[in-house]
Amino acid sequence: MNTLITVSLLGIAAMLSEVFRFKKFIQTVFIAAVTGATGLAVLDWGTSYSYFRFMVLFDDYALAFSILFLVLTLIWLLLSQEYFCNENTRADYFALISFSLAGAIILSSFSDLSMFFIGIEILSVSAYVLAGSNRSDIRSAEAALKYFLPGAFSTGFLLFGMALIYGATGSFNLSNISLWIIANHSNLPVMVNAGVVFLITGLLFKIAAMPFHNWAPDVYDGSPTPVTAYMSTIIKAASFAAFYRLFVSCFSIMADWWTPLLVIAAAITMIGGNITAVYQNNLKRMLAYSSIAHSGYLLLAVAAINQLSKPAMLFYLAAYSVASLGMFTLVNRMGNEQQLDKLKGFAHDNPFYAALITLLTLSMAGIPPLAGFFGKYYVFLSSIRSDLIWPVIVAVIASLIGVYYYFRIVYNMYSKPAASAHVVSLSGFDKSAILITALLTLLLGIAPALIADII
Amino acid sequence: MGESAILVLIISAVVFSAGGILAGKLLVKSKPSKVKSEAYECGVQTIGKSWVQFNVGYYLFALIFLIFDVELVFLYPWAVAAKQLGWVALIEVIIFLFILFLGFLYAHKKGALRWM
Repeated sequence: MNTLITVSLLGIAAMLSEVFRFKKFIQTVFIAAVTGATGLAVLDWGTSYSYFRFMVLFDDYALAFSILFLVLTLIWLLLSQEYFCNENTRADYFALISFSLAGAIILSSFSDLSMFFIGIEILSVSAYVLAGSNRSDIRSAEAALKYFLPGAFSTGFLLFGMALIYGATGSFNLSNISLWIIANHSNLPVMVNAGVVFLITGLLFKIAAMPFHNWAPDVYDGSPTPVTAYMSTIIKAASFAAFYRLFVSCFSIMADWWTPLLVIAAAITMIGGNITAVYQNNLKRMLAYSSIAHSGYLLLAVAAINQLSKPAMLFYLAAYSVASLGMFTLVNRMGNEQQLDKLKGFAHDNPFYAALITLLTLSMAGIPPLAGFFGKYYVFLSSIRSDLIWPVIVAVIASLIGVYYYFRIVYNMYSKPAASAHVVSLSGFDKSAILITALLTLLLGIAPALIADII
Repeated sequence: MGESAILVLIISAVVFSAGGILAGKLLVKSKPSKVKSEAYECGVQTIGKSWVQFNVGYYLFALIFLIFDVELVFLYPWAVAAKQLGWVALIEVIIFLFILFLGFLYAHKKGALRWM
């Protein structure tokens, strides 16, 4: 709870830095507040309190995800230093990031449908603005519009679903809804089923899973790279945290009914995302499709819905987000054109960092003993426990396809540069970002229990 | 009852909306001309193009107006029940107004209220 209040106040403080002229120090304030908020979340560990008349519930699940978002934001700051250079917009960007973090924390801790809606709106509205934050680039404006329209549309689906659930159960509170569904399990009115379908549709839009993924590649491609990194890590993690929390606490009793929907979506997403990524020559776009494919694996964990899927999701999201922040550091350095060819000669100039990026790539592809492998291992394990055998086979095939395009990145880095080509060079912050993400990837790979055993 | 009613609703919604468009396509004779495709402006002849850019100030003013309008909407229910709710609610409302006031300061500082 204190975490949420700190982050919200930080957003207001960032806006006020414009009025009271402490814009210069806003980054220091931001780092201090986010670190402090992480500390407050750690202090609350092991407790489980409800606030605002059962609107939010800060249990270990909520705290673990809050800590994940905050730590990822701190790493993210390293790669987005230049994004905050402009004096005129710096305070606004920090405010928007803080507000979307507050939304993410609400999404991991809500215990009421109305709070779920507020969280998803705070998160998305800030993201719409951030996607269009590069005002001199028309593609950024296009990304903002393409993000906003499907986003608003999917919010409509979510609201409709909530209305139907409320109509059937007479409550917005998650535990009341769950109790009502348990009591009327034998003859559920069709309204509940329709509501669940609408909620699933809306959430699949938000996490960019196929067949509702079409907005994602253009949005990820057009937005400024730091914003893309933010969207494909923290916002994705928050949406998944909300997805799982909603379905495990409300609809787990009728899981037999909606699991097939998620499993089919997951299978299409894994295969489709990975195959489309193979054909991309632009690294940013390739990472966008790979992020869609990773949504598919995560959906399997949601569909499995047993004791293992909670740690599986947390671990997978941590492993994936850390590795992708490192990858996006590289993309950020490639300028406006992120063709894979531009990477040629990178390994010759920066052998150490090329090796680290290779490590991150291998982690995303799921090669042991790196974090990504254990993420996939936990997800597959929890799916097999719930007898989802064929989806796991599909997932294994999909990750084999994934290995191919991840190796294209490595291949390009280690090829000889074309004559008179401009080779990508890294700044000090980039180097530290890549170093930290690579170290975390290794650490989580060697000792996966650090994260997997805490919830 | 339940399921069939929803089915009937969905079918009639599809038939109603698709039928309207389809009937329009089938029944209408299409004879476009230059005069017809002009923007209708109360019968007055149009001057210039209709693709005009408005000053962004209009939108900014409207947005800020909207925020304070919504603030008032929030204040009405509180005002009606102010006596029963007591001091705690009063303090909460003051905090709410204060936060909005900070937003106003921000908008002012950003020059959103200056007419360009």
